[in-house]
Amino acid sequence: MFFALTDDQREFGTAVTTYLAERFDLEAVRGVVEDAAGDGHPAALWKAAGEQGWLAVTVPEEHDGLGLGLVEAQVIARALGAGVAPGPWRGTVLAAEAIRLAGSPEQQAAWLPRLASGAAVGAFSLRAGRTAVEYAAVADVIVVRDGDGLVLVERGAFTAEPVGSYDGTTRLATVTVDGPGEALPGAGAATVADLTARATVLVASDLAGVAREAITRTVAYDREREQFGVPVGSFQAIKHALADLHVGVTMAEHAVLYAAHTVDTGAEGADLAVAVAKAKASDAALAATAAMIQYHGGIGYTWEHEAHLFYKRAKRLAGQFGDADAQRARIAELTIG
Amino acid sequence: MDLTYTAAEEDFRRELRAWLAAHIPDEWTRPGFWESLGDDESFRVRRDWERDKALAGFAGIEWPTEFGGRGGTPGMKAIYDEETVRAHAPRTVNPLGLAFLAPTVMAIGTDAQKKEIVGPLLRNEVIWCQGFSEPGAGSDLAALSTRGVRDGDDFVVNGQKVWTTNAVHGDKIFTLVRTEPGSQRHRGISMLLIDMHQDGVDARPLKQMSGASEFGEVFFDDARVPASDVLGEIGDGWRTAMLLLSFERGASGIGQYTEFRRQYDEIVEVARRLGRDTDPVVRGRLARVLTELECLRLHAMHVLTQVEQGRDLGFEASMTKLQWSETFQDLWEVYDDILGEDATLDALSTPGGDLDLRPLHAQSMWSRSVTIWGGSSQVQRTITAERVLGLPR
Repeated sequence: MFFALTDDQREFGTAVTTYLAERFDLEAVRGVVEDAAGDGHPAALWKAAGEQGWLAVTVPEEHDGLGLGLVEAQVIARALGAGVAPGPWRGTVLAAEAIRLAGSPEQQAAWLPRLASGAAVGAFSLRAGRTAVEYAAVADVIVVRDGDGLVLVERGAFTAEPVGSYDGTTRLATVTVDGPGEALPGAGAATVADLTARATVLVASDLAGVAREAITRTVAYDREREQFGVPVGSFQAIKHALADLHVGVTMAEHAVLYAAHTVDTGAEGADLAVAVAKAKASDAALAATAAMIQYHGGIGYTWEHEAHLFYKRAKRLAGQFGDADAQRARIAELTIG
Repeated sequence: MDLTYTAAEEDFRRELRAWLAAHIPDEWTRPGFWESLGDDESFRVRRDWERDKALAGFAGIEWPTEFGGRGGTPGMKAIYDEETVRAHAPRTVNPLGLAFLAPTVMAIGTDAQKKEIVGPLLRNEVIWCQGFSEPGAGSDLAALSTRGVRDGDDFVVNGQKVWTTNAVHGDKIFTLVRTEPGSQRHRGISMLLIDMHQDGVDARPLKQMSGASEFGEVFFDDARVPASDVLGEIGDGWRTAMLLLSFERGASGIGQYTEFRRQYDEIVEVARRLGRDTDPVVRGRLARVLTELECLRLHAMHVLTQVEQGRDLGFEASMTKLQWSETFQDLWEVYDDILGEDATLDALSTPGGDLDLRPLHAQSMWSRSVTIWGGSSQVQRTITAERVLGLPR
């Protein structure tokens, strides 16, 4: 039995965390968030993502990728969530996953090396119609759902109209396909379900990262902040709430890791594992980021403080690919009938 | 990532499964069977069965063979926990001895203690009780006041212990006693191994809210114990107790998951027979508990991994306790709420026939206790906050 990350897998996360701490900290994130006219896609961060293999993680080696799985990808997603990092990492990885799983050899050769290196930006949407797609405005290629199929649409064949969103760490745009697209020939209902599972796990992992960082920062503050002559973290009302959050986030981390593994291996019970992971991670992130505001007191409600960056990202992602209630409805179907 | 057991561990599973299949009568698997026997008869039957199981080699799974154990792996212990639940094996009658005393004796006991305590315990020749809590020392264990006064080679013990599991069936009791007159808090305590079959020890049953009497209280009135029957050093009992409690590290979580997951299905069946299984509120609440149950299983796999890697889990045991006990309690609250206004009835008529609710009620009642014993949820949250998160005391 080995239910844990290996040292090599852990190293992926450490590399992202270290880079963000040294080169793209919360001040840099704030710069992106406050630049309302910008595209939310900082070039330096994107360059690092390409150079350090964050984008290549699940791309096969024959297409210049690392040939690893969702377990490794979720390690990166978690670190990016903890750093509330902006940029089209998830959309690019998922567009590449769609092409890897359902694209023709020509489509794979054309796109996978470019998506793996960051030379091309990808976006991904499973919802039909006019819907907000992450980073569509900077995408070179978008994979969109068409019934049970998937269509690849290149820049020039779609129009992306930026939409306002209070989560400034994720830029959204509505997409109108107004030119020709190419079907991914291998796509069917099973591919769409598989991609949905992968997307759900990556979002859940980002949420787990957001939740963990929210608790860590709150604990650090409440150890120092004094009221009534003592650190507020010495009050039992705060201790017990943070202890419960710590347990909840730890469980979410277990659940996301397990879900990634079941999807990677095609194990029985992957459906349930993914629903459990997303339900738990959504709840944990919403609770932890709300607590981050509350247990910082008044400063936690200010624009100046970072709590709202975490809170807003959690709000955005908690509903992606089904919120906790939707996941529980799925869990009920699977275990009650 | 490797979520499988080794070939040797799977061989062990098959061997154990075969033995259990041959040694558990069908009627034992019927809901309410053990409750129908009554406390004393249930205890006797289980005691004998467990002895036979030990003689067949299915006890002390991960303990060294030199102490009478099987010399197995942590994975085999997890398989043992899972398979015994799956086969509806009776609950152990020696839980405190098996989980706490034996590992402590193997760690710090004298050679004589290792020989005299561990083997007989495995074969249920001696049923061990734990004498920790007192009327004035529950969560605040260091407030204990049971005292032992040296008299020649003996200690003479006076005081009272309470919430003692199996008190009326116990043969011996490992007891925290203040052996240094006037000592305060954690100092001056010894862990004495006291024979309960003597005039100075009076064990009385304590009737619980469920009506059962698995607990009791133990009165010491000039009870005598040789000073050599101390575990660890005299006056160092607090440290012995902390070591002892550290053996509750949650490696039995896989067995707990197996049991609670079956109970989930039983509760779903109740909902179905009452036509409540399509109610979206009920479904949402059941799914919420199922989510926590799955997390419990994964946490157990995490704990097993850490144990196999030789890592010390330390205060993570508090998280394990919170996750299983709070989830178990939530599960049975959903059951109560599914019954609604009929929650207290002994039986219900349903289209599928009469439904005897008493065995289910017994679990529901029991669920109120699990967030108290073994360190209440409030104590566990404080430990987690202070020792894991590092919040100030």
